Amino acid sequence: MIEWLHPGLIFIFGTFLIPLFKGKWKQAYLLILPAAALIDVILMYKGVFGTIPYSTWYYPFLDYELVLGRVDKLSLCFALIFSLAAFCMVLYALHVKSSSEHMSEFFYVGGALGVVFAGDLFTLYIFWEIMAIASMLLIWFHGGRGSEVAHRAGFRYILWHLFGGIVLLAGIIMYVAGTGSTAFNAFSWGWGSEYLPSYLIFFGFILNAAVPPLHAWLPDAYPEATVTGAVFLSAFTTKSAVYVLVRGFTGVDILIGIGAIMTVYPIFYAVLENDIRRVLGYSLINQVGFMLCGIGIGTPLAICGTVSHAFCHIIYKGLLFMSAGSVLQMTGKIKCTSLGGLWKSMPFTTACCMIAAASISAFPGFSGFISKSMIIAEAAHFQLGIVWVLLLLASAGVFHHAGVKVPYFAFFAKDAGIKAKDPPLNMKLAMGIGAFLCIFLGVFPQYLYNILPYDPVALGFIPYTAAHVVSQAQLLMFASLAFYVLIITGVYPPEQKKLNLDTDWPFRIWGAKFMIFCKEPLMDFASWVDRGMKRISAYFASFGRNPLRAIRIALSTMMVKALRTFVLEFWWRVFKYYERDLEEAKKLPADKPIETVPLGTAVLLIIILFLLYLVITLMYGWLAP
Amino acid sequence: MANNLLAFYVIIGVVAYVVLCFMAKKPAPPHRNLLITIYFCCLAGMVIAGLPVHWHIEFPWQEPIPAAFYAIFGFAACVFLIYFAKGLRLWLPKDYDYYEKKRKGRE
Repeated sequence: MIEWLHPGLIFIFGTFLIPLFKGKWKQAYLLILPAAALIDVILMYKGVFGTIPYSTWYYPFLDYELVLGRVDKLSLCFALIFSLAAFCMVLYALHVKSSSEHMSEFFYVGGALGVVFAGDLFTLYIFWEIMAIASMLLIWFHGGRGSEVAHRAGFRYILWHLFGGIVLLAGIIMYVAGTGSTAFNAFSWGWGSEYLPSYLIFFGFILNAAVPPLHAWLPDAYPEATVTGAVFLSAFTTKSAVYVLVRGFTGVDILIGIGAIMTVYPIFYAVLENDIRRVLGYSLINQVGFMLCGIGIGTPLAICGTVSHAFCHIIYKGLLFMSAGSVLQMTGKIKCTSLGGLWKSMPFTTACCMIAAASISAFPGFSGFISKSMIIAEAAHFQLGIVWVLLLLASAGVFHHAGVKVPYFAFFAKDAGIKAKDPPLNMKLAMGIGAFLCIFLGVFPQYLYNILPYDPVALGFIPYTAAHVVSQAQLLMFASLAFYVLIITGVYPPEQKKLNLDTDWPFRIWGAKFMIFCKEPLMDFASWVDRGMKRISAYFASFGRNPLRAIRIALSTMMVKALRTFVLEFWWRVFKYYERDLEEAKKLPADKPIETVPLGTAVLLIIILFLLYLVITLMYGWLAP
Repeated sequence: MANNLLAFYVIIGVVAYVVLCFMAKKPAPPHRNLLITIYFCCLAGMVIAGLPVHWHIEFPWQEPIPAAFYAIFGFAACVFLIYFAKGLRLWLPKDYDYYEKKRKGRE
């Protein structure tokens, strides 16, 4: 009997066998891995590996201990939705032939599951970085025409994430140095310099949660990913950030404000944006804002709201990205301006998109309703007036852009005359499962409530009261009325084929300037220094080979140079003498050109040495009793 | 109750305004007219359904019109949203090759 099995490592180690399979076997293997992870998580729920909560899989690392398996209700809830979503998404991506794309997907999911079960900060950091790099690869796999754009977007994406990762690492090191403990639990919070490690860790976390103004990587890079890659990206990075924030920063009141701004800020962009997947990216930020607000409020009911909203959000946002991806795959177009009237030719995709749209707008009877209302109700309960108004405004806004705009412009509006049909069976199946879950969770919320860290019903929350249902229905119906009226009267801004500036604008402009500075003045200076150094080293080398000759050359050169300036009739002979001597000296043997080694080789050697050193240190750490 | 009635009249007024907006436009095909009628019946139904509900009043600004607060808020929020976004459109949108041009222009 195994003690415990890490579902993330099923993904990570299972990845290496993917290239060995072909055709049907590969598809079967691709489905078996997430299914195995899902069964693993369900077995944990059943208490097969021990009574919840427990923590297991300790490994010595330097002077500390890595904890790979910290299992409690919170991590189980996120692990369940991550493995469930991974299964649906792998099913959606089953037709993709490239092994390397599947491999990066699996690494990505494995990293996210590793973050969820991480019991100490080092493990957290390792899986955090695995996730960042694997997700960048998903963006880079976008081939064909968009590859150049995707490549650049992927670079910008990884720059943001490496920066966030380094800040996180700095925070972790300071925290460990300060407290002597690597355990990943709630961090202390307050105002003052003694909380600096907490601030740095917090910064690393909220960068991954795409908090404005640190959010620009998300709408920049996600729409450039492959059709299937975007579906994966929508689920894991931001939600694992939500998980770590719940774990580390519950009740940090600054998150309430951050969350409220985060819900409102992106809806304006979503209204203006033309690319459907970019609209969905902005609405993703908006939804994560609700979750951060819940974390900031920090009561058990708010945490329930956050976790259940993350749970429902992964499903419906995945479904929205799946339907947008189907449209992109089948028509080759993704801009609002070039789509329209697809409901006749893609009825199944239309239905799935409508269900996801109803869920994200929290229409009563769909999954968003049973989770989002918990957070708004808690905001009202604590008399957070402005936050409450902002959250309601964002609810109306999300209905407007994700609930109405996306289905309307893609599937209805005026017919763009595109010939298309519904996507292949595997994509339809994945979308069907997502749509089923959206309705199922909306109608039977108790199944979701039972697996949450706390029981919202016991805390006094009932989703389907007359007041909740009528208020939400009024809000949404009259928001749709506004959309309708403004379209009819022509006030609604028409879609433009434009790019909207976002907070990454200064980085992209100054970044380009910085690159030019590096390329021109800095490189000139470097090559000047380089030339000088080469001359000095060449002199020393020739001196070492034949000192007498070197001295003779140096003397002659000096004399020739000195005399050339004022060559008079009298000095002519002396000058000629030295010139001849210089030529003779140069003819002497032992002046082979110096062999130089490129700098890169030297750096590589140094890196290999460091790596060996690290491996030996680690091996010693493991071997030592 | 008086407040609720007041709200009801406000909503009727909004709906009537919208219908008038429509009638100014050219007539729609018949099935579309039916859909629109059903839609407005739904809107009115939402407000009427709000009348008998026992509302939890959490904030002072909900007090005057509890039955239609969310309806008015939803409408106003969306109108505000779109006007604000229109305002942002004055300076946010740039051509798709904006950054390319910025980069190439300097090289």
